[in-house]
Amino acid sequence: MKHIEKRFDAIVVGAGPAGATAAYQLAKMGYKTLLLERGRTPGSKSMFGGRVYIRPLKDIYEDFEKKAPIHRWVKKERISLVYDESATTIEYTSNKTTSFTTYLTQLSHWMANQAVEQGAILLTEIRVDRLYKEDGRYRGVVVEDEVVKSDVVIDAEGINRLLLEREGIVEKLSPDHVALGVKEVIKLEPDTINNLFGLDNNEGLSWILMGDVTDGIPGGAFIYTNRDSVSLGIVVLLGEAARRIDRHIYILVEELRNHPLLYKYFKDGRIMEYSTHLIPEDPSRLMPKKLYYDGLMIVGDAAGLLLNQGYTYRGVDFAAYSGYIAAKAYEKAHGNGGASEENLKIYQKMLEESFVMKMLRKFSSVSRLMKKERLFSTYPQLINLLASKLMHIEYDSYKLKEAFDEARKGRVGLIHIIKDLWEVSRKL
Amino acid sequence: MTTETEVKKRKISRIEDILNNDVWDVDYEPHIIVDYSKCRECEWKPCIRLCPAECYTMVGGEVLFSYEGCLECGTCRVICPEKAVKWEYPKSGRGIHFRFS
Amino acid sequence: MPLKIIVGIKWVPNTTSVNIDPKTGTLIREGIPSVVNPHDLTAVEMALKLKDRYGGTVTAISMAPPSALAGLEHVIGMGVDRGILASDRAFAGADTLATSYVLSKVIEKIGEYDLIIMGHETIDSSTAHIGAQVASWLRLPYVYYAVDIEYNEQDRSIIVRRMLENAYETYKVYLPAVVSIAMHTYEPRRVKVSNKLRAKTEDVIQVWTSKDLDIDINCAGLRGSPTVVSAIDFVPKVPRKNLVFKERDPKKAAKWLIDQLIQEGLLEL
Repeated sequence: MKHIEKRFDAIVVGAGPAGATAAYQLAKMGYKTLLLERGRTPGSKSMFGGRVYIRPLKDIYEDFEKKAPIHRWVKKERISLVYDESATTIEYTSNKTTSFTTYLTQLSHWMANQAVEQGAILLTEIRVDRLYKEDGRYRGVVVEDEVVKSDVVIDAEGINRLLLEREGIVEKLSPDHVALGVKEVIKLEPDTINNLFGLDNNEGLSWILMGDVTDGIPGGAFIYTNRDSVSLGIVVLLGEAARRIDRHIYILVEELRNHPLLYKYFKDGRIMEYSTHLIPEDPSRLMPKKLYYDGLMIVGDAAGLLLNQGYTYRGVDFAAYSGYIAAKAYEKAHGNGGASEENLKIYQKMLEESFVMKMLRKFSSVSRLMKKERLFSTYPQLINLLASKLMHIEYDSYKLKEAFDEARKGRVGLIHIIKDLWEVSRKL
Repeated sequence: MTTETEVKKRKISRIEDILNNDVWDVDYEPHIIVDYSKCRECEWKPCIRLCPAECYTMVGGEVLFSYEGCLECGTCRVICPEKAVKWEYPKSGRGIHFRFS
Repeated sequence: MPLKIIVGIKWVPNTTSVNIDPKTGTLIREGIPSVVNPHDLTAVEMALKLKDRYGGTVTAISMAPPSALAGLEHVIGMGVDRGILASDRAFAGADTLATSYVLSKVIEKIGEYDLIIMGHETIDSSTAHIGAQVASWLRLPYVYYAVDIEYNEQDRSIIVRRMLENAYETYKVYLPAVVSIAMHTYEPRRVKVSNKLRAKTEDVIQVWTSKDLDIDINCAGLRGSPTVVSAIDFVPKVPRKNLVFKERDPKKAAKWLIDQLIQEGLLEL
């Protein structure tokens, strides 16, 4: 094992939103920072649904909204309950916005560049094999037969926590604790997108579809408009998918693209990219017992820090903010004499006090809610049947009560509906 | 409105054609090794349907894995009920290169 | 005397990933990332093997826009000592002749060298010109399609094994010389973190413009390029029959295949 002479204050593993932000903040505070990325360029292994909530990022990056690669501001929010060839949709439009669409490949790249501008050294094409320990403390990383040393290591390796598993800090991922996201990015001219979705030039649409979109597997579908493309994809709970799926997963996305309700949007587009990623689904089970060890902090997806709010995910802002807090925590630990376990405890404390952990606790039961068959299957069906009774008029017309009774007949009892409504309103 | 002819034109693309839009710098060594002897014991084989890149296929009644088109998501590693998948990321910047995700 | 090796690399679009738009029939170039020409990585690997065996230095050279620095960083990551990028607007639009001219000027400026190693060809243009042309500009001997090089320190020569279709040729060549390496001879080694760090933190990459080089501007770039691409014709698509033999018996399969080929007039027995 060859030890590299150059020593760093901090080594950050992974230049995704969490790692790049940690490196940015560390370098900005004057620490000698090494950012290691396994991809050829930062962002080349990044994938997400398509939307970022901006507020926390504005705390971190100066003029974020002016400089970052923002495609469109989400000003139209749609949630559709799909059943067969029909959908009942809630649409919310506002000129106010708190989120934007982008490619995570671009955003990660931008964030890593910000870190470099602050003086961090970014090495791409470097796959870290192990965390390096000296006298029981984390003090660097191992790449092939070489060791690079640092005072602290920030693990931002992402959802597949190979390094943390090797250290025995976490167990192997269980299919029931993660979801699988699969998406197609479909090229369309900006004007076409504007016309199809009723948007202005910089306006974006976020469209969540639930119900008959995932072959009865708990999950949902999403559509996001980018500048000159549309992201279309599905998210399914992996464990449930393994148990229930009866054809290839890509067909689910393809059927969505060809869905009678959606085909008109995509018929003139061509697929630019097909990508996939695992998503932390159950933070309470995924999160390591501690996010700090002697010389080590864990951030982003690796720490399970992703919020599933039922109708939306918050991943990028949570990841970035955890990286930001880890950097701040290192500054405090450094001031107290070094990155010992005792001194890094502050990271977990600061995280607990931030919106990150507060929100994760608040929505902790959502992932269990997602598995309720009635929610993603029965109710979309019920609502669309109800709507069809009211809207598809031939000779006779229905009264609301009549239509409702007809729609739920043999499907779900009134008492269940009331109980579910109560549960949803409490948990979401 | 979607016209009748357009309804007929709708079609599910082949996975090869969809994947063809992606970019890889394929490594000369596989980053994933599958122990086929364990696959033979496995009746369930969730990898066949769940690997989004269809890296796992059935050929002559046996699982065949090819790493070249891997999107590095980790699904196979997580769902394999037989722990037959030895899974690493590719080295030296090789593997999938996302651009628009 | 240790070997001073220069190796040429080209930063090329990853053409294995270039697609054709089914509607317009044109190449989709958007977002195609660049890579070091894989055949040049074979050349780099050969250079590094020689360095490992005989000692010396390896200098990588390239002519390209500044984005190619990432390519030089990659080969320095593999163990190349330093990189020189010839980069100037005046070099743009070059064909192989103008490119080999600038590269030969870079090599002249480096001055001290024993062996120049090139990849056999590039994946984006496949001309296989550069090695021969650089040798011509520099008036050096040239051996191409080499699979093995041995160095004889006493008389400063190399023994080069060259691959032919069904034989090997062996040459003895006095240095300095130019050698291009047969495709896929070696798998290129992985980058090392120490080397990548060196590429980023030490002054091992230089960018040379036309001012740094003793260049006749009429021989570089578009002006120095006699090649004219007058038209590109697409090869017409051959209709496929798509027949599949479904039984498992290999003997029957072979027989069936031969019958099919005879039927198509593609095979005579």
